[in-house]
Amino acid sequence: MLLEIDNVTLLYGRIQALHGISLTVNEGEIVALIGANGAGKTTTMRAISGLRPIASGRIRFAGEDITKLRADLRTVRGISQAPEGRGIFPGMSVLENLEMGAYTRRDSAGIRADLDRVYGLFPRLKERAKQVGGTLSGGEQQMLTIGRALMSRPKLLLLDEPSMGLAPMLIQQIFSIITEINQQGTTILLVEQNAQQALSRAHRAYVLETGRIVKSGTGTDLLHDPAVKDAYLGVA
Amino acid sequence: MHFDDLAHNWGPLTASGLAQGAIYALFALGYTLVYGVLRLINFAHSEVFMVGSYAALITWGFFGLDENSATPPATEVIGYVVLGVLVAAAISGITALVVELVAYRPLRRHNAPPLAFLITAIGASLVISEAVGVATHRNQRGVPPLIQPADAFTIGNTHVTNLEILIILLTLVMMVGLDRFINRTRLGRGIRAVAQSPDTAALMGVNKDRVISLVFLIGGLMAGIAAVMYLFKIGTTRYDAGFSLGIAAFTAAVLGGIGNLRGAVVGGIIIGLFENYGSALFGSNYRNVVTFVVLIVILMFRPSGILGEALGRARA
Ligand SMILES: Nc1ncnc2c1ncn2[C@@H]1O[C@H](COP(=O)(O)OP(=O)(O)OP(=O)(O)O)[C@@H](O)[C@H]1O
Ligand SMILES: [Mg+2]
Repeated sequence: MLLEIDNVTLLYGRIQALHGISLTVNEGEIVALIGANGAGKTTTMRAISGLRPIASGRIRFAGEDITKLRADLRTVRGISQAPEGRGIFPGMSVLENLEMGAYTRRDSAGIRADLDRVYGLFPRLKERAKQVGGTLSGGEQQMLTIGRALMSRPKLLLLDEPSMGLAPMLIQQIFSIITEINQQGTTILLVEQNAQQALSRAHRAYVLETGRIVKSGTGTDLLHDPAVKDAYLGVA
Repeated sequence: MHFDDLAHNWGPLTASGLAQGAIYALFALGYTLVYGVLRLINFAHSEVFMVGSYAALITWGFFGLDENSATPPATEVIGYVVLGVLVAAAISGITALVVELVAYRPLRRHNAPPLAFLITAIGASLVISEAVGVATHRNQRGVPPLIQPADAFTIGNTHVTNLEILIILLTLVMMVGLDRFINRTRLGRGIRAVAQSPDTAALMGVNKDRVISLVFLIGGLMAGIAAVMYLFKIGTTRYDAGFSLGIAAFTAAVLGGIGNLRGAVVGGIIIGLFENYGSALFGSNYRNVVTFVVLIVILMFRPSGILGEALGRARA
């Protein structure tokens, strides 16, 4: 087991956003986390990456208890999050943003190789290498967030709504890239509104409702689950 | 008003204003760097500067140099000046670090509100200046005559002194070095990352506390260098020397666009120049009035400072 979340609760002041959720991610998997707006998907990501302290429960990563570990040290351990929305450094160029992704690394040859790999996945980023992040289009920023997350060469990649705000063509492309990254050896935890795509790409998936996990199973199982179909796939 | 004074002395006023502005610029960097990453006005920065001026005087004192000494031979002077600058920079840097560790870091641990930081900043400033005030019996202390002001060159009626050249060149070197450090190195990128988005920086593996310490240290180093330049230019220091000069330096940071390094330099130079022009025009009593009128007028047209927009856009 690469990641194990056990009975985690999280508070925003007096608001309880997570009510004791447990989930696991195995090495090599794509695991999807789906749920409506405000269900707590992003919050779960923050708990895993350490941006928000949890109120109770445990988080283990690669055999180590990281419950109390600082966010930057979790990155060093191999967790990399592509945050929701425009989580780029707006005043830095595309290249600098990507270099920030490799901040904890010192192997310049390896970094250069990964830069080429990211440029291979997203040729658009290569064309825009010198452009300032804040002036990229929404879709380009989304690519940059994903590419940057890859630059740390993570064991576990956390993707928070990578398809948000993208044109249908690009959504297809992003999901293909996600599968490709996974096949190249990176374990992925994927948060998505686009349940259809996420479930068909994922090995396993969890359904989150108001801070609780209400369902889990293989991607295919959930894809054919009547309740899931009804609530998240927009088909009766 | 003395337009003829201003017109007649325009050259020397400019040279001296540039040197004064360079001191403000070095001093202002500490305010703007800390504000950039913490959104905090570190009021104790003025005391970091003041402590630097004493560090240099005490260092020279070890060698038996005080204000009544004779000027040592030129080769020794260079050594003393370099040593004074290094010690002042180091002591100011360490003081700034200690302020961060003792006064601000514990508050961050407890997620204190901005007002708590503000009051702590003022408290830290008072504690340091009063401690030095008591230790020095609130007397002022003069600089040994290491640098005898002499004209380095003359253009028309403009005499540019060796000291003015030294101050401007040193500031230039420090600024270029700092600019390169912030924009070209990995650590510099870490500083910019925390300034632009602290959470995302943490996701990249940037240790925020280390970046904050670094920023306080750099600001302190610059203030220490500024303090020695100030000593040579003004001749004395006192426990409250940081206070009034700090206001001008802080004004420079705001004027240039707080959080923006190049802005601190632009703001420092403008304040230095206008203080000098203003004193010539209205008399030196109006020095600060002129400074603040300039500040208010510029902020009316550019509310986030002269170069502040780049930062504003960067945070949108
Ligand atoms: N910083 C915060 N302060 C207070 N409440 C918050 C904060 N962030 C999130 N919440 C609340 O926590 C709940 C879960 O939010 P979260 O962002 O995790 O939802 P989500 O599943 O990611 O939704 P979406 O699909 O819209 O991104 C919501 O009710 C939200 O209002
Ligand atoms: Mg979300």
